[in-house]
Amino acid sequence: MLSLASSFPVLGVQMTRLNPVDVLILLLYFALVIFIGFYVKGSTNTSEEFFLAGREMSAWVAGLSFVSANLGSLELMGWAGAAYQYGMLATHWYWIGAIPAMLFLGIVMMPFYYISKTHSVPGYLHLRFGEGARALSAVSFALMTILMSGVNMYAMAVVMQTVLGWNLTFSIWVGAGTVALYVMLGGLRSAIINEVLQFILIWAGAATIPILGLIEAHGWTNLKTQIATNIGNTNYTHLWNTLGGFKDNPMGVHWTGIVFGLGFVISFGYWTTDFLVVQRVLSANSLRSAKMAPVIGAAFKMAIPLIVILPGLIALGLHNADGSMVFHLVPGSVAKATGQHSYDDVLPLMLVRYCGPGLLGLGITALIAGFMSGMAGNISAFSTVWTYDLYSAFINKRASDRHYVAMGRWSTVIGMLVSIATAYLVMNAASIMDYVQALFSFFIAPLFGTVILGMLWKRATRAGGFWGLLAGTTASIGMFVWVRLNADGLRYIAMSPDARPMAENLYRALWSWLICVVVTVTVSLMTNAVPTAQLAGLVYGVTPLPSDGAEKLWQKPAFWAVVVIVVFFILNIVFF
Amino acid sequence: MKDNRSQEQNRQTRRARLSIWFFCGILMLADGLVLLGQGIFERFGQKAATVLANLQPTLWWGVLLTIFGVFYTVRFRPATHSTD
Repeated sequence: MLSLASSFPVLGVQMTRLNPVDVLILLLYFALVIFIGFYVKGSTNTSEEFFLAGREMSAWVAGLSFVSANLGSLELMGWAGAAYQYGMLATHWYWIGAIPAMLFLGIVMMPFYYISKTHSVPGYLHLRFGEGARALSAVSFALMTILMSGVNMYAMAVVMQTVLGWNLTFSIWVGAGTVALYVMLGGLRSAIINEVLQFILIWAGAATIPILGLIEAHGWTNLKTQIATNIGNTNYTHLWNTLGGFKDNPMGVHWTGIVFGLGFVISFGYWTTDFLVVQRVLSANSLRSAKMAPVIGAAFKMAIPLIVILPGLIALGLHNADGSMVFHLVPGSVAKATGQHSYDDVLPLMLVRYCGPGLLGLGITALIAGFMSGMAGNISAFSTVWTYDLYSAFINKRASDRHYVAMGRWSTVIGMLVSIATAYLVMNAASIMDYVQALFSFFIAPLFGTVILGMLWKRATRAGGFWGLLAGTTASIGMFVWVRLNADGLRYIAMSPDARPMAENLYRALWSWLICVVVTVTVSLMTNAVPTAQLAGLVYGVTPLPSDGAEKLWQKPAFWAVVVIVVFFILNIVFF
Repeated sequence: MKDNRSQEQNRQTRRARLSIWFFCGILMLADGLVLLGQGIFERFGQKAATVLANLQPTLWWGVLLTIFGVFYTVRFRPATHSTD
């Protein structure tokens, strides 16, 4: 999930410059990435190989790719900044805002996606609800992925200019060209290999910051004390005990928004229906691997706050000998006017603070890898949805397999060119970026309502699915426009006059999901039920689920899901 | 539909494929060696102008990445492993 709309890089003073040894590390990475693209090309000849990596990835590879596709640099920098701004509350987006949903995908939903042999989430909607729901979902998804790819591209260019003084156009074209090359050549297989590589690289490049930061802060306990001293209260180092009221925490949210809005609707919507991440799991080589992949991904996702949230907290706690804070970061809007560093600069600032030649190159390479991972995830998902759910469904239904692979390669290139155009559009009107991020959120919550009803309720009909999805999406857009035209609307959407902008996203998602569910149920009950025979393989209760082959306890995905959820509860209690 | 011959060719292609973990291994090994060299240079030359540079993080991180890289490169080298 992307950081909320506050996450936007701001042009500022160049922070540092690369040494030859840093450039060498960067070149090694680019050389390997391009080599992988050419190397994999020879084994991506069929559509199954190009769009679903031949469905032969192990659980570990699919799981790491699943979590890596979400781990873009925009996300890393945005949430590190959010940790500086809001404290530990930002961790909710990694724990309750991800872990239960990832486990639910693996244990409950993945069997249906996997045994239906669908190529995409819109493809599942086609099987369950017909062409209308598929078209609505596919068009919105294709549009959003391509715009998000452009946003990622522009964000990378701004970060590289701020940190290293690189030219914006140079960064955009080098990043886009590299990603387009390896995705066009090797399709999803190439994207997945690179995502696993990028995941390892992000840890290798970013893990030095929290380690050295904790050493400088003299340990976690001392860091908490320093933060409390700098801020004036202990609210920034707790997860739950400040969520009793909107006014009691720096984020201006209530626990109901976090649990139901984020933990249920937004999180389940994103992790179980966003094809960008689900596509990685569909590449698994067996049902057991497909179920295990999200469980493995969840375990790694739980650890990511170490390299994202902790650096933000360390920056919040560090102080000079005279007691003043080391970092004085300000909101992006203030940074634009004053030239100070914004919240989102916290990760690069920490990188420059602790990493000398070599380590700096590794950290910058990790950031670039994260941006490229974000671009590749969007562009490979776009290519699949365009080819399967729009081109082959509505434009050219009877072409050969080879033709569809060629279309996949061409749509990768054309999609990347449109993304570049988006990047330049954002460059000239930066506020567009906030709207693009918001646009993406319009479709996620209602889509989850449609998919979950389709999978768990056999009475849901095609008309119900289509109108529910349309009503939920329209309601979400309507609420967004309402608050933009009249800020007072937020008090009604979040049901509190004390709610702040962060609460809007949570409650808007909750309402749009509820509207989708109510409309789907109502329309379904008013229309004729789908014959049970047509629902086999698509709906719980009418589908005999095949065995995943696990015999021993430690082979069962459900066992590992229980282990992960127990650790999840322990972490929440420890940092309550 | 593919015929049996093409399926066999595909299987052979897969057998010859480099492992994902091998790619991870060689990148970490290459980066580790570069850091190791830089760390040794800093150990006996001028230290980096960063906070906690006295702990020689470049050298120790280089050692760690090199060990990780060697393990994965050897463990998943092409001769003994095929796919992921």
